[in-house]
Amino acid sequence: MLFTSLEFFVCLPLALMLFALLPAGKRWIWLLLASYGFYGASRPFNLVYLGAVTLFVWGCGAAMERATRESARRLLLTAGLAAVIGSLIAFKFYDFVAGELERVAVEVLGSDSAITLPRLGVATPVGYSFYAFSAASYLVDAFSRRLAGRSGAGELALYLAWFPKILAGPIDRATNFLPQVAQGLRADPERLVLGLQLIGWGLIKKVVIADNLAPMVDKAFGIAAFASPIELLVSVYFFAFQIYCDFSGYTDIAIGVSLLFGLQLMENFRRPYLACSTAEFWGERWHISLGRWFRDYLYIPLGGSRAGPVRQYLNLMLVFIASGLWHAGLGYGVGWTFLVWGALNGAYQWAGVATRPFWTWMAGRLPRASRSLPWLTLRVLLTFHLIAITWVFFRARSLGDAWLILKKIASNLIEIPALLSRFPFTAEHYTAFALIAFLVCVEIIDERRPIVQRLAAGPAALRWCVWYLGIFALLVLGRWQAREFIYMQF
Amino acid sequence: MQRLAKSALLFIAIGLALYAGVYYAAERLMFHTGRSNPFFKIAVTQEATFDWVILGASHAMPLDFGDFNAHMQGETGLRILNLASPGTGPLYNRFVLEHFLRAHRAKNVLYVVDSFAFYSRSWNEERFADAKLLRRTPLEPAIAALIFDYVCHEGVDPRALLDYVAGFSKINNRERFARDVWEGEAQFDRVYRPSASAVKKRMAYLYPDKTAVAALDRYLAELATIVATSRRSGANVVIIKMPTPSQYRSQLPDETTFDRALSPLLTRSEIAFHDFSQAMDEPRFYFDTDHLNRTGLTEFFATHLKPIIISAIRR
Repeated sequence: MLFTSLEFFVCLPLALMLFALLPAGKRWIWLLLASYGFYGASRPFNLVYLGAVTLFVWGCGAAMERATRESARRLLLTAGLAAVIGSLIAFKFYDFVAGELERVAVEVLGSDSAITLPRLGVATPVGYSFYAFSAASYLVDAFSRRLAGRSGAGELALYLAWFPKILAGPIDRATNFLPQVAQGLRADPERLVLGLQLIGWGLIKKVVIADNLAPMVDKAFGIAAFASPIELLVSVYFFAFQIYCDFSGYTDIAIGVSLLFGLQLMENFRRPYLACSTAEFWGERWHISLGRWFRDYLYIPLGGSRAGPVRQYLNLMLVFIASGLWHAGLGYGVGWTFLVWGALNGAYQWAGVATRPFWTWMAGRLPRASRSLPWLTLRVLLTFHLIAITWVFFRARSLGDAWLILKKIASNLIEIPALLSRFPFTAEHYTAFALIAFLVCVEIIDERRPIVQRLAAGPAALRWCVWYLGIFALLVLGRWQAREFIYMQF
Repeated sequence: MQRLAKSALLFIAIGLALYAGVYYAAERLMFHTGRSNPFFKIAVTQEATFDWVILGASHAMPLDFGDFNAHMQGETGLRILNLASPGTGPLYNRFVLEHFLRAHRAKNVLYVVDSFAFYSRSWNEERFADAKLLRRTPLEPAIAALIFDYVCHEGVDPRALLDYVAGFSKINNRERFARDVWEGEAQFDRVYRPSASAVKKRMAYLYPDKTAVAALDRYLAELATIVATSRRSGANVVIIKMPTPSQYRSQLPDETTFDRALSPLLTRSEIAFHDFSQAMDEPRFYFDTDHLNRTGLTEFFATHLKPIIISAIRR
């Protein structure tokens, strides 16, 4: 069931009504049932995977709580993580790696010595990447005794299955989620309004912006060899905004729906294309819940920046390659492009760390210039373009395609002004440009002072106008033909 | 609390008024850009009686491309209304015919039969909910009542009725400013270059559920209802198969089963049936894998169709 489907908009008020009728302490039971209904609606068998992960993780957590010896607890943690992360890796990569090995064997040994490896033949269950990471974080937090007394099987099941976040995050922490459930879930009017605003804005980002950009992106990336440099350049820009609006739109809806039920999930996006550096982009603005997961459960345990510069560089690269592998999925295939995407982002972090002393020195010598609007704008634009280059590897069907797209654009950079005037832009292109301009304006205004606060301080008439504009933008411009969210496919 | 409830009601009331305004604008715009939707044609026609009404799927549509319908009317001196629409099977065709007969009359019904339309819900029940058709269908209580009937008795998705009444597909129409012309019409003068892969793709598209006997029986019964309804209204029924190129025909899955299943209905109801499927093999007569282009249609009309249409005068 998609957040953009009629079924969802019929089921959500029903779920809310029953939620409101139940006593606060028992509401989680209803939410768990609703979450299983939501997750199992399209493919009931997926509930088996979810149930298995839940039972296994709960068993490990309970055993860790009871174990007295540190070595036994460590063994349980290792076994739990190996099973959860190992199953994720197997689902995602086993068949792909087996295919690649067979291919290499044919190239090296010749077709006469071809080998056939067994295949799993099982597609990664939808949302597995997200709830496997939630499960892993639960195990680590249970090991660190951050969850003492909060590991009831039912609450854990709700944490893993919570329907707004199960398909595409945010990868919320049990330390944030479980205490809210334990306190009893209550929806207050302020949270309801904020939740509805987030749902509305998320829908606009998804069905009005992302889904209107998608057909042009699909077309150009689908025929990279034949598309003109301008078409490819425009598509690269469009994809940067498509993936942002698609993913952050989903997250906004997930956080908004959770608020309706009195649950506050962690923030996942904070106007990422206004970042002044790639470190800020990944650390503070884009897919924050995943970034923090990698920081807390991989980067810091590996030594982070405290183990000397060489280890820091290595750790950074490892984290971004792991992030690349995590992103490899059904959406755009399980190719090598995700590895390159991760490595390229890792390389950006290396450059950032290497040049940090220079920027610090410059900020000290030229404090006013380093905070001036033109300089900040330049940094924002540069960061955006660096990130946009990485998105080419993320979206392209193969490394060859990605390289071809970048080469075609780069070799025609000088001629772009002339080519632009000759390119047959359509009404869809102009609509897309207008939507992107609108989004950027909203984000800039929001960055200076949250729009929610501005609206709350403004007259009711203004608030109503904004609501009506939003609703009618969804009705008139939205693409509601059930296009899946990109990140649901990872 | 009372103040909050009042505000909520006012918000909803203003929202509904705005919605009604947008809906009205979308409906007016639909009348400005309408052309090929069968319900639109019925709504705007000035005539009450037609000599021929044509029903069927996309193979019948070229008969109304450009000025071809006017050409046929000029050649025969008869009034012809083409109510075919792309990808529609007998259930949808019956829906169109029933609405047509509420306020109009046809002396003859020409049904263009295609086997694919008898094998899948996609071309029948599911077509009622297709936004492309709904957004071009004028809002009329009679049509809403008819859809309601199909929802209750024929297994049509209730969302089709909801969409039709709420006008969502019209308000949300991305092609709201474009003329309602089927994409094939723009290629009417084109000559097709045979492509085996194109035919293969077309077959996969036309026969999504393969060829199930149960579905065939179900939709043949719908065709029988069309025949009975037409005859009750005093119309004579003629069924034809349009010409298709041999490359396309050879890939049709189980066409002989379809022909065998159709045969008892034709005999029982004494329907005139003309199979022209093998009449014009050359690719130069087609603008794509299976639709006649202007040259092909002109030839087909002069040689095969005109005598059938003219025969209506003699009767």
